[in-house]
Amino acid sequence: MAGIQSGTAVTLAELRPESPLFKEGASLRVTGKIQEYSVETAIATVVDGDSKLKIDTQHLRDLSFRTGSIFQFIGELLIHPDNEAVLQARVGRNVDGIDLNLYHQSLQLLRQFQADHIRA
Amino acid sequence: MPPNLHNTHVKLLAFDLLSLTQTPNPHSSSSDTISFSRRGSPLSRVEILGTVTFRDSKPGKFLKFSIDDGTGCVPCILWLNHMTSPYFSRRRPQDVRLIAHVASDFASLIKIGTVARVRGRVTGYRGSVQVTVSDVVIERDPNVETLHWLDCMRLARKCYDPLPHRK
Repeated sequence: MAGIQSGTAVTLAELRPESPLFKEGASLRVTGKIQEYSVETAIATVVDGDSKLKIDTQHLRDLSFRTGSIFQFIGELLIHPDNEAVLQARVGRNVDGIDLNLYHQSLQLLRQFQADHIRA
Repeated sequence: MPPNLHNTHVKLLAFDLLSLTQTPNPHSSSSDTISFSRRGSPLSRVEILGTVTFRDSKPGKFLKFSIDDGTGCVPCILWLNHMTSPYFSRRRPQDVRLIAHVASDFASLIKIGTVARVRGRVTGYRGSVQVTVSDVVIERDPNVETLHWLDCMRLARKCYDPLPHRK
């Protein structure tokens, strides 16, 4: 169990090259709507607002990636030489019905809570 | 006086649970020789909620799994050795069979990718905090993890944190 890293919850908008979260091998949890999915490559493109991310789903089983559905993935970030990132997903689930506004706001509160806890 | 967190399942985020203070308990005659506390308040039972990201099953012995809630990964152990463990040897066989059956049902629910609400005792293993599982509920509502985060933060601020930190 020691080898399993927690997937830090991030929004797609935060995964820009200049962000401290944009690191090779970083374990992340991302949420977004499936814009497209290729059966041949097993690559799904998820979007959240104006932001996009490619997800490598080759290791996931028993999931059907319907365009328009919202999914959450946990995995590790691979960054290609042109700064294009792909999340190698090890866990995925359909979260249709999730309140994304509540999720985003709660994530900010969560981070503040964690920072306050460390300071205390 | 620190809040009394005994005999309640304290709802904790993973990072909070994993940073509990561990105190060796030299007077204990049982195998629970470590006590756990959060900001001065002793506690023994917790409730966590997150995605199952690891699963290692030893049938008839135990199921080890990890719960990732976005703030950390909590190791959990669900014992499955009731029929052979000396701990249960003095209890009525039909009671032990029932307990074993319930534990086996819980084990079958735990799959990679599912979201589980887990209750149990805080225990130590090789210096790290883990949860010895007593109850598992699989959650299917996509908003439960968000609500659990909010619950944990609210309870910490209103109930669990010692005064004068409460707001």
